[in-house]
Amino acid sequence: MSQTKSLNVDYNYTVVRLFALTTVLWGIVGMSVGVLLAAQLYWPALNFDTAWLTYSRLRPLHTNAVIFAFGTSALFATSYYVVQRTCQVRLYAEKLAMFTFIGWQVVIIAAAITLPQGISQSKEYAELEWPIDVLIAIVWISYAVVFFGTMIKRTTSHIYVANWFYGGFIITVAALHIVNSMVIPVSLTKSYSIYGGAVDAMVQWWYGHNAVGFLLTAGFLGMMYYFVPKQAGRPVYSYRLSVVHFWALIALYIWAGSHHLHYTALPDWTQSVGMVMSVILFVPSWGGMINGIMTLSGAWHKLKTDPILRFLIVSLSFYGMSTFEGPMMAIKSVNALSHYTDWTVGHVHSGALGWVAMVSIGALYHVIPNVFGQGRMYSIKLINTHFWLHTTGVVLYIVAMWISGIMQGMMWRAVNTDGTLTYSFVQSLEASYPFYLMRFIGGCFVVTGMLVMAYNVIKTVRAKEGVLEPVPEAA
Amino acid sequence: MDFATIHSFYTVIIFAAFIGLVIWLFVIKRKPDFDQAANAIFADEQKPKQKQQQESDHE
Repeated sequence: MSQTKSLNVDYNYTVVRLFALTTVLWGIVGMSVGVLLAAQLYWPALNFDTAWLTYSRLRPLHTNAVIFAFGTSALFATSYYVVQRTCQVRLYAEKLAMFTFIGWQVVIIAAAITLPQGISQSKEYAELEWPIDVLIAIVWISYAVVFFGTMIKRTTSHIYVANWFYGGFIITVAALHIVNSMVIPVSLTKSYSIYGGAVDAMVQWWYGHNAVGFLLTAGFLGMMYYFVPKQAGRPVYSYRLSVVHFWALIALYIWAGSHHLHYTALPDWTQSVGMVMSVILFVPSWGGMINGIMTLSGAWHKLKTDPILRFLIVSLSFYGMSTFEGPMMAIKSVNALSHYTDWTVGHVHSGALGWVAMVSIGALYHVIPNVFGQGRMYSIKLINTHFWLHTTGVVLYIVAMWISGIMQGMMWRAVNTDGTLTYSFVQSLEASYPFYLMRFIGGCFVVTGMLVMAYNVIKTVRAKEGVLEPVPEAA
Repeated sequence: MDFATIHSFYTVIIFAAFIGLVIWLFVIKRKPDFDQAANAIFADEQKPKQKQQQESDHE
């Protein structure tokens, strides 16, 4: 704490602490459900013939838990931390900030209760029924008030770029959520979308892809632009590039959603627009990735000694990898091979486990000691252990899905000379089978890593204040 | 005005705004302004100067 003690400002860390701790908890829960699902795909008997343990009901529970419980809690924690420290001012409307914490936990618990019961709007990543959607909207608007209120009363003249990314994420997610959740309720647990047919599909994927673009990308880029330079102890490689990165990214992402609907009832030109915009998105994405990684130029040696920095930098490598893979998969002819296969699942997880989870974990290892009055985490060694467990898990997972996915795509499109299909669906499933075991093993590595993190966090939180001395600067 | 016309104008405006942004960043604003902004995250540390000093000693 001695090195990073604030000068005059007394920051509100209570809400940051709460969100940081729940991030770890929901990370373990969400990823464990993921591992159970991976196991069910290998050992189908694991649903125990119980309706609420079936794959179809647990799958939305897994996605909601990792995106909205784990990922979004990490965004709440770090955005409240970063906005206070870069604006050098205490949080605005602190009671409202506390309400966002309680409200968000209620949303998560409501999701955990309703989804296994099969109560769902059946829109991907927007499954929650309308009463929960209303609560999400209220919490989200409160979040915006707290965040922008803090920004408005800042004592610094410049708004640091991380806050632009966080701000863009908050505004856009509010708009996406409210527009896509427009429904006509018929009872407390059932509603129908006000959109019909292809329009409904387009609205859903405008929402779905921008949830990826603004929640899972812009929000976490805000995290990146604060924690990478901070942990590296040097300013971001190019501040100018970061400004171009922000505007280019938000101007382009909003157009890309229709690439989820290639070769469907959506008008052909709309599919092509989505494809072209997705390909162009490669440029700002890699600009941002290079900006983050090059921040380390001249200080690469720090990667050897600092596992937190390693988490952050490797997350950027995965970001670069999945933002190359994504535009490629959005090209219609590639999509014809990849769509509906495990390749998509692998792509999502290289983004989610590689980029989102790793940047969050790195940021949390930085934030937690700071907000609990410690100089460092309880064990740097265990952070290193976590890093290798996580990396091994992610690599096993995505390699398995690449092989399985491309194989599925090839088998599904193979035709005999007389025009009949060479393989039945079951044959392709059989071919994928060993890779489902490999994915399960990868998932186990990731969850084990999270448990190591939880132990480290508990030890840090319980240590007497100031006992853990900061690591001396490595020579 | 129909949708196509509105959207055409919108596209041109976005494009012009982006070019304007790039000109503002690289021509009008000077690099030191941005260096100051980039270093803002270290403002809350007690001994930022000394730390930078140590930093350059290693290189």
